Amino acid sequence: MTQYLSEDDVRGMAAYARIGLTEDELSQMTVDLNSIIDTLEPITEFDLEGVEPTFHPIGSLSNVMREDVEQPSFTQQEALANAPQQQDGSFLIPSILGEGGDR
Amino acid sequence: MAAAGEIMQMGVREIREGLASKELSAREVASAALETIERCDGEVHAFLEVTEKQAFEAADRVDAALAGAGDAEAAVRVLDEMGPLAGVPVAFKDNMNQQGTHTTCASRMLESYVSPYTATCVQRTLDAGAIPLGKLNMDEFAFGSSTETSAFGPTRNPWNLACVPGGSSGGSAAAVAAGMACVTLGSDTGGSIRQPAGFCGVVGVKPTYGMVSRYGVVAFGSSLDQVGPFARSVEDAAWTLQAICGHDARDCTSQDVKVDFLAAVHEGAQSIKGMRIGLVKEFLEAKGLSGEVRAKVQEATEKLRSAGAEIVEVQLPHADAAISAYYVLGPCEAFSNLARFDSVRYGLADPGHKDLSGQYEASRAKGFGAEAKRRILLGSYLLSAGVYDKYYYPAQQVRTLITRDYVQAFESCDVILAPSSPRTAFKFGEISDPAQMYLSDIFTVPINIAGNGGMTVPVGLGENTGLPVGVQVIAPQFKDANMLRVGAALEQAYGPAPLAPEFAGEKAGE
Amino acid sequence: MKKLEEVLRDWEAVIGLEIHAELTTLNTKMFCGCKLEFGAPPNTHTCPVCLGLPGALPVPNKAAIESIVLAGLATNCDIEKHSMFYRKNYMYPDMAKNFQTTQGPIAFCMRGHLDLEVDGAGAKERIDLDGLNPGESGAEGTTAANVTRTEDGYVAHVGITRIHMEEDAGKMVHLGGGEGRIAGATHSLVDYNRAGTPLIELVTEPDLRTPEEARLFMQKLRQIYLALGISDCSMEEGSLRCDGNVSLRRRGSTEFGTKTELKNMNSFKNLHDGLAYEICRQAEVLEEGGIIYQETRHWDPSSKRTIVMRVKETADDYRLFPEPDLAPYDLTDEFIEGVRAKLPELPDQKAARYMDDYGLSSYDARHLVEHRATVRFFEACMAEAGEGATKLAKPVANLAINDLTARMNADASFDLEGCPLTPARAVRLVSLQAEDAISSKQAKEVLAAVLDEDKDPDVVVEERGMKQVSDTGAIEAVVDAVVAAHPDEVARYKDGNQKLIGFFVGQCMKEMRGQGNPKLINQLLAKKLSE
Repeated sequence: MTQYLSEDDVRGMAAYARIGLTEDELSQMTVDLNSIIDTLEPITEFDLEGVEPTFHPIGSLSNVMREDVEQPSFTQQEALANAPQQQDGSFLIPSILGEGGDR
Repeated sequence: MAAAGEIMQMGVREIREGLASKELSAREVASAALETIERCDGEVHAFLEVTEKQAFEAADRVDAALAGAGDAEAAVRVLDEMGPLAGVPVAFKDNMNQQGTHTTCASRMLESYVSPYTATCVQRTLDAGAIPLGKLNMDEFAFGSSTETSAFGPTRNPWNLACVPGGSSGGSAAAVAAGMACVTLGSDTGGSIRQPAGFCGVVGVKPTYGMVSRYGVVAFGSSLDQVGPFARSVEDAAWTLQAICGHDARDCTSQDVKVDFLAAVHEGAQSIKGMRIGLVKEFLEAKGLSGEVRAKVQEATEKLRSAGAEIVEVQLPHADAAISAYYVLGPCEAFSNLARFDSVRYGLADPGHKDLSGQYEASRAKGFGAEAKRRILLGSYLLSAGVYDKYYYPAQQVRTLITRDYVQAFESCDVILAPSSPRTAFKFGEISDPAQMYLSDIFTVPINIAGNGGMTVPVGLGENTGLPVGVQVIAPQFKDANMLRVGAALEQAYGPAPLAPEFAGEKAGE
Repeated sequence: MKKLEEVLRDWEAVIGLEIHAELTTLNTKMFCGCKLEFGAPPNTHTCPVCLGLPGALPVPNKAAIESIVLAGLATNCDIEKHSMFYRKNYMYPDMAKNFQTTQGPIAFCMRGHLDLEVDGAGAKERIDLDGLNPGESGAEGTTAANVTRTEDGYVAHVGITRIHMEEDAGKMVHLGGGEGRIAGATHSLVDYNRAGTPLIELVTEPDLRTPEEARLFMQKLRQIYLALGISDCSMEEGSLRCDGNVSLRRRGSTEFGTKTELKNMNSFKNLHDGLAYEICRQAEVLEEGGIIYQETRHWDPSSKRTIVMRVKETADDYRLFPEPDLAPYDLTDEFIEGVRAKLPELPDQKAARYMDDYGLSSYDARHLVEHRATVRFFEACMAEAGEGATKLAKPVANLAINDLTARMNADASFDLEGCPLTPARAVRLVSLQAEDAISSKQAKEVLAAVLDEDKDPDVVVEERGMKQVSDTGAIEAVVDAVVAAHPDEVARYKDGNQKLIGFFVGQCMKEMRGQGNPKLINQLLAKKLSE
């Protein structure tokens, strides 16, 4: 079977997707992903020259919008009801130093 | 007073008649359902949460409304006003938000999440007068075809407890097959309604994409997901569709199409003379299609021919490509949809890490099961720079070809008849290779790719396994009425779906 | 470090801007019906959609799409009929879904431009225009290709790559570190009230060459957005934000250098100063043989330095793909024309009209339209002045541009519309001066008194006994007396020392305690002395 992804590649994917994997999980995941990607190959074998993609399987639906009218919001308590940690009406998270926020 | 087992065998129409004639109260229906769940679900494990309080509240509302009706005629009017599911015991797949209930998606990630809002399909069911019994087991985040990936243990097939109920809406199928609910809702991204309906011998409908609002249903593959009903008769499915279909301003992909499902069922039950049924050679010759399933599809074809339908052969030249396109598009959308589970606003959080990155990685490692991780990583890979052009973009082009195939095929037929899965229900642990598991969806995924409607109708038991077999009826986009008509005709030939035998006898409390 | 003008002699700066504007004048967010409100208690304007709850779906705000089309039309963009929303995937806690809904390769608005008129000191930063005469443009292929020389500066043609529609993120407060900074913080608080605020991002071509041009571009865009009424454009509250990309290349070179991205330039001054510093810093690094890294830097106004935030080792891979939850757009002609019909008179058009109708200079007209307040003030005064409008336009413009703008700049709370200087009073004030009833110096005193004491100009003039004596008889008497009292000076004047006229005027003014009409005194003195 073709090796599409090395363990290092999978480690990179996991880091990007923010999922911690043990070394055992990593090697099993690498085997599984390679086997799955192998079954995707037919997609690369079609002559798709000039074929438009269908990103939305909804026929001719377009320009779906709403009017700029206010709707009720959650109360602060409702908004925070499922929060794992909260403080002063806000969601509380640990230090984010080192995060690559960029906007 | 009718015994619980008797009530739980009733269809929507019988419940309505019972309520109208006052031979039955909605509270009795609720009690019967809850009693049955109590007695049977230990073995089946279809429910993740039972909402007794909500069930009785809804039942009491129905009874209160009926109390004012002087006679049966007035009671019918009250029921009509309340909606098509007045007094009908229903349950929801646990990826559907219902305010005040847990919506876990059968994942540790959402084990303690309580919905602060209600999905449109759930709201419409409740607004139609239904009695909500609870939330149903599923594959974690709907990733799977057996309900084995549920973090809270699998659901067992009521027809054979050693077998899987199919998936991902395994709990929804099993609950109906075991008589624990009259109707349930499930969702179908690549066959998650039609395959378990087949495995559990019940009717399962995936309407055309856009017919039922997806608002409030936890997304897996946003361009593929569609909500639909499970029931023991085509008519019950139609009553449910009548309640849940229709435009929703909260879902931009929702369509404003009106279909009279009940009328289609009545028409189909009377006659399908002149309807053209398409058969796809590629499907019937597919590698992996078991003999007993093929035989059942052929038998169903003959029955439809005897009922006056015309059988035509149609081509779907790109059918082979569907499964690979599906396993590209599904994981890509899932990767993005599941990014929100980050331990900040809700969901499992593994605290005590010195930075957010550590909390992210630990929380997502603990919260997601193996299959969810596989799909997320697969999606992350398929969307990455360079790879996107190799798989994702071509998959969307292939989608165009597949959609075109169906449009062309439907020029010469009104529905297509196909298997709903290559084989009957398999045993727990029998398929462990994920790539192999994915192949159990080969007859259902093309329909999600193209956005068409498809439904499974039970056609008896396989001659080798003795387990239920379903056939799939596929309709052109927005002509869902076509498949309901043919479904009703098949039901005329085979009879409505029976309860799983083990749950029909003394276990059902008779 | 060298000074900017010195650096720009050897180096050409290449600057592009990314300007985000929140559509604060709308009622609701981009994809849900939550109210837009700055400064509300945390997490009180959220719903399943903007909190990114499982199962929630977005529905775009039609008014936001109208606003961005309006912005595109006002900045000479092509409006793309067919476009889509995309998901830009990256995990960051202020973004509830962990993807930002934004646009892909095709935005609603593409290929626009704005012309910048640069004059005064700022125009001198462009040393590559020295060879051009007014009216001439730089030759194709030269650094001045997009520039036309004017009498007192130049006009730069600045390309706009695109304006796309997206949503803003929530707000974070960092705790445990110094001064709310992320560095050193032990934990952070997240508030999603701002999450999902409609945001339009304008990206310029790398056509800007000096910090002054960047500042003027930003200023001009702000004027346009304010005129369109699509945003309150408050740089302080963050509803208008600007990032800059800067690189240097040797004069004469056509290759681009490595660019850095500059953030936190949250005022016009910071934008100018941050870019100026970064240009000088890069020049120093390059001149010492160092290399510029592609990195994001943060402008710190207190230390007047840019500080590196992070180094981009590889291009970010945001795994962009079309948003399946939103239908694509096929804007109709009807929609676009409907928006076009709502286009108000833009600042440039207004300035041109003021020049045509009132004979204002280009400088006056341009500066008058810089602020909505001065525009409204000027127009109200013109309406008040009626037939005399054309005559009073220039002094009213001066009053607005010089005195009142200075006051607005000095005092942010000064409200031109609510202040005691009503258009009627303003017209009276400039009329008094135009009629020589008061001197220009006195006019300033009257203005101050009107504003501080809320009185009519006539009352101030009366109370302070300021009114110039224009009574010929009275002045003649003083002139006669002064001439009689200074026979020596009269003799010298008559001998040809014409400068002495100033002495006589001064003496007369002294006699009249400064209230004589200087014009009349001059006239009468000249007549008397020539007798």
